[in-house]
Amino acid sequence: MSTNWNYVIVGYTVVAVTMVSYFVWIKGRTRKLRRSLRDEDNG
Amino acid sequence: MKRLFAAATLVTLGVTAVFALWVTPERENQGFQAVRLLYLHVPTAWVAYLAFGVTALTSLLWLIPRTRDAAWDLIAGASAEVGVVFTGLTLVVGSLWGKPTWGTWWEWDARLTTTAILFFLYLGYLALRRTAATADERGKRCAIAALIAFVDVPISYLSVTWWQTLHQQGTVFNPQNKVLIDGSMAFTLVLAVVAFTMLYAYLVMERFELARLEEGREARELAQAIAERIAAEPVEVAPA
Repeated sequence: MSTNWNYVIVGYTVVAVTMVSYFVWIKGRTRKLRRSLRDEDNG
Repeated sequence: MKRLFAAATLVTLGVTAVFALWVTPERENQGFQAVRLLYLHVPTAWVAYLAFGVTALTSLLWLIPRTRDAAWDLIAGASAEVGVVFTGLTLVVGSLWGKPTWGTWWEWDARLTTTAILFFLYLGYLALRRTAATADERGKRCAIAALIAFVDVPISYLSVTWWQTLHQQGTVFNPQNKVLIDGSMAFTLVLAVVAFTMLYAYLVMERFELARLEEGREARELAQAIAERIAAEPVEVAPA
């Protein structure tokens, strides 16, 4: 692509994928820890 | 409240993407369409500096006995981790912009090098946070490390003025005090900075919540281990 749209697409994709992955990782780990602490409290 | 903030962040990011990808013009001296990468590169770099600034400030608050609170240490760690993610993105996006504009993916230029150093310094800081120690010991070690690492932030920021190598000088803040951007490009850049700052704040809130749970878990495991150790020790019977 002569006007460099390919670099733009890669850049925006990298940022979006990184942000979503990081957010999903935080949320997933938070949920897992909360559940395990609650299970321990219940017995 | 947090959900409302998350929704507002998402909307602001979406509007920024529309402006950055469709409304703003291309620029011949900035890699034609590649100029659109600057609406990611500048805000991610800003957030990285902000994140490490917050880490330094909260570390200082932890070190001062009068303001010491375990939460400062957790915020410092959360902010540093988010900062490392954004610094990594700054380097990757900058490299993607550099190839079509400068003709190279990487150059040992002052700004690029000091930013790479920043990335590795804070990776080291995150590794230090994972070493085994009491909360107090770890807090002290990490707070001092965070303050030392922060020295590279102003060096990186001012490197384009001090050394004037390949990386261009500031578009908004520069020694000439001349804003080199206007119209839809200036609006989009400001919007992008706001959007990414909101994203940073949201991610730190979430990461802080996770850090608190991890801390609780660690304390519980330690208490359990101590209880097991005490139970396993033979009971000494005093001679009659």
